[in-house]
Amino acid sequence: MAVKIIESCVNCYACEPVCPSQAIYEAKPHFRVNSKKCTECEGDYPVYQCASICPIEGAILNSLGEAINPPGSLTGIPPEKMAEAMAELQAH
Amino acid sequence: MELPVLNDAPKAAGGCSAGSCGSTDDQMDQLPDSIREKVQNHPCYSEDAHHYFARMHVAVAPACNIQCHYCNRKYDCANESRPGVVSELLTPDQAVKKTMAVAATIPQMTVLGIAGPGDPLANPERTFETFRRLSEEAPDIKLCVSTNGLALPDAVEELSKHNIDHVTITINTVDPEIGAKIYPWIFWNNRRIKGVKAAKILIEQQQKGLEMLIAKGILVKVNSVMIPGVNDKHLAEVSKVVKSKGAFLHNVMPLIAEAEHGTFYGVMGQRGPTPDELQDLQDACSGDMNMMRHCRQCRADAVGLLGEDRGDEFTLDKIEDMKIDYQAAMEKRKVIHEAIQAEMDSKRLEKAAKVEQFKQEPKLDTRPVLMAVATSGQGVINMHFGHAKEFLIYEASPDGVRFISHRKADQYCGGDTTCGETESTLMRTIRSLEGCEAVLCSKVGYEPWEQLEAAGIQPNGEHPMEPIEEAVMAVYKEMAAAGKLDAKPEAARASA
Repeated sequence: MAVKIIESCVNCYACEPVCPSQAIYEAKPHFRVNSKKCTECEGDYPVYQCASICPIEGAILNSLGEAINPPGSLTGIPPEKMAEAMAELQAH
Repeated sequence: MELPVLNDAPKAAGGCSAGSCGSTDDQMDQLPDSIREKVQNHPCYSEDAHHYFARMHVAVAPACNIQCHYCNRKYDCANESRPGVVSELLTPDQAVKKTMAVAATIPQMTVLGIAGPGDPLANPERTFETFRRLSEEAPDIKLCVSTNGLALPDAVEELSKHNIDHVTITINTVDPEIGAKIYPWIFWNNRRIKGVKAAKILIEQQQKGLEMLIAKGILVKVNSVMIPGVNDKHLAEVSKVVKSKGAFLHNVMPLIAEAEHGTFYGVMGQRGPTPDELQDLQDACSGDMNMMRHCRQCRADAVGLLGEDRGDEFTLDKIEDMKIDYQAAMEKRKVIHEAIQAEMDSKRLEKAAKVEQFKQEPKLDTRPVLMAVATSGQGVINMHFGHAKEFLIYEASPDGVRFISHRKADQYCGGDTTCGETESTLMRTIRSLEGCEAVLCSKVGYEPWEQLEAAGIQPNGEHPMEPIEEAVMAVYKEMAAAGKLDAKPEAARASA
């Protein structure tokens, strides 16, 4: 039972102080979760604290390996619209 | 010759409301002495000061507690210049070292701000550690902070302890329905909250924070991002509200939204305002409030005069090697600051005398004209057209000269051989001057001269090293004498 921070993390530090278990630590190339300490906030909060402040969709996975904040859920940008814009940029 | 730099309501509005009449300098003159004292050498708060004094931001605050639709939380773009973007995140210790290195190297740097790249008050330990150390180790530097306001009420007490006499709050709306279109979420009481509910909490915190700061005697500037179709019609109301609560300056900035920034507004094709729309809104707000028009929307790690960025000279590896004797630097800075202040004071007196003289002259009956000016500071025309990275836009009218805005130029002359696209870059620069009828520079080359003329913009290199307002008025009078100001060409626009 632990969440995981993956490579799309932008190292903004926001999650580190809100973790009730001090399970998150600064690391290279991005922040990481100590899976031995992580409780998924059980007993402390009804929702994952790290994933409730993380601004990057997909950067934090639950214990099943699923994005807690899936594409489009935070920015409101529909994923296909984002893909379109990125493809446009690649073309230049 | 002369010009009050009158950043106030267009005369058409009928008279002046108290506190916002007359020139930018007059506005300063009308502020209580305690406030004027605080802002006279602050480049962001005084249009006059921004020609002389420099500022810097240290990027110690990466975390944010809200999401704005004009922001994207990646911050690694050396070529981008907009708020929220930095190249290197600093620890408080590195920030203190960098600040002292810059202060010693650029003595006209008077102000250190913490502006991000996240929200400074969402990183209270890093932000306050930096402020605490700087107020002890570099007491001659003014400290300021900008915030989205969500965590502000809880931070006011601590802010008042650290020699911080200026706070900027970004307030884009006082209406939760509008707020829901700008802020997709906030992190509040251990939860992510979305929609109107989130916007309502944010707005309440901003307003509460504003009131608490005023009660503590801390100066508050309010920033607003103008988003056409979202909050543009509403910002005059915001201006009234924040003024009534005691904010002393309102800075309405244009939305920056490009698809490549990956922001909601950028990707969704939300446009920013045109220069005309921005000016109209600033004029509409100015009846109620002192307006700031010289903001450059700088990066959260900018260094130097507004409009320039010398951050490259102070990267971590470079400051590591610098040996700073701050006591000696402080003595040197004091002498330089006094000299600049004396120069500003004498120019202010000269300007006031010219304003008086201008009032005595028969009043012209001509339409207003926009002119672009190339300057590298000191309030004079001292830059070659091809070297200008930006132009300052002034409006000349029978009432005088007033500063309107700045426009970024595409620098077409790099002074080397990389001129493959000279023509198109020059044309882009000329396009950025749309609406202006003259451009005043220390020099203008032959090729741009011809193209400027063809675009209906009169190049003028006859006033090098002259004070900007005087030169603009001189050119205005020449245009009037030549009968160019009788009819209203399509390109020109009245201040109404």
